[in-house]
Amino acid sequence: MSFNQILPFISTVVMFIFAVYVFQRYAVRRAPHYLFWGIGLTLFGIGSFAEAYLALAWNIWVFFAWYLCGAILTAAWIGQGTLYLLFRKKWVHVVTAVLILGSLGAAYLLLQALPTLDESVFTTSRPISEQYSTKVLEAGQIASAGALTATQTYQGKEVTVVRGIVPLGSPVRLSTVVFNIYGTLTLVGGALYSAFLFWRKRVLPNRVVGNVLIAAGALSVASASTLTRLGYGQFLFAGELVAAVLMFAGFIVAGRLAPQEEPAAQQVMSAATD
Amino acid sequence: MSEITKPEKASTRTASHMPKDSVFFEKIVPALLILMSALTAALVLLAVGVLLGIVRF
Repeated sequence: MSFNQILPFISTVVMFIFAVYVFQRYAVRRAPHYLFWGIGLTLFGIGSFAEAYLALAWNIWVFFAWYLCGAILTAAWIGQGTLYLLFRKKWVHVVTAVLILGSLGAAYLLLQALPTLDESVFTTSRPISEQYSTKVLEAGQIASAGALTATQTYQGKEVTVVRGIVPLGSPVRLSTVVFNIYGTLTLVGGALYSAFLFWRKRVLPNRVVGNVLIAAGALSVASASTLTRLGYGQFLFAGELVAAVLMFAGFIVAGRLAPQEEPAAQQVMSAATD
Repeated sequence: MSEITKPEKASTRTASHMPKDSVFFEKIVPALLILMSALTAALVLLAVGVLLGIVRF
């Protein structure tokens, strides 16, 4: 096995340990943000495992798990936990309902796309992130070495495409963009905002450092995902592992509070979001 | 007559504080916050551009 094939297995282990840790916190404190973080981290772990599997063999349901859990849902569900942490208001429940419905909708779109997948394109010699999407070759662009190209009609025009597993124009591809915009804003934005709140008050430095680490981790995978969409999928594995480690470290650092400091932490958060 | 003193807020009394004159908390942390905010904004704008069809992949 190559280093690139081992990385997602390591990310999977880190993520599942992290998820168990967060669920244990939820079992004790029953705060909804732990529940949603736990769900999001589990989705991250499933996506990582699926990615690791797809580096070795093809399975359409494993691809389904990778695309739905890893590519679409992870950031949004972890971000939803951050939303619960920052805003203890009833409207957050409405957003949760929209997220659940949206997730079911994305799963439905992906199920609809399964019969249209071009499995013949799949190869274990490249990460799944480099071969999952069909891309139009713009005028003057040259396909990378080894890429399979074809000519097809798209939006009434004859275009040359680099063949990928998910066909061009598949509605499910837009859902990754929508969910990841939401996830990036809530998860990264939320962590940065939390860090800023504590930094501004000059209190609880571990919360500042912890949230900076969480934001850095989330940005790592968000950047790697964006590069993947741009055609540079070779960074996704490393981005995910960096995200797993930084976010776990940030969570542990941010959570280290003496009992007498808990009310102070709550006071800073509540004062900013009321 | 004893001076009436305002009671300290719980947050300042019980919360640990950042070390004074710390280069890390005074310079590095705010720089990181600004940098990461800018990167976040760039990624979100890029994604919105993809959604609206302005940016093509």
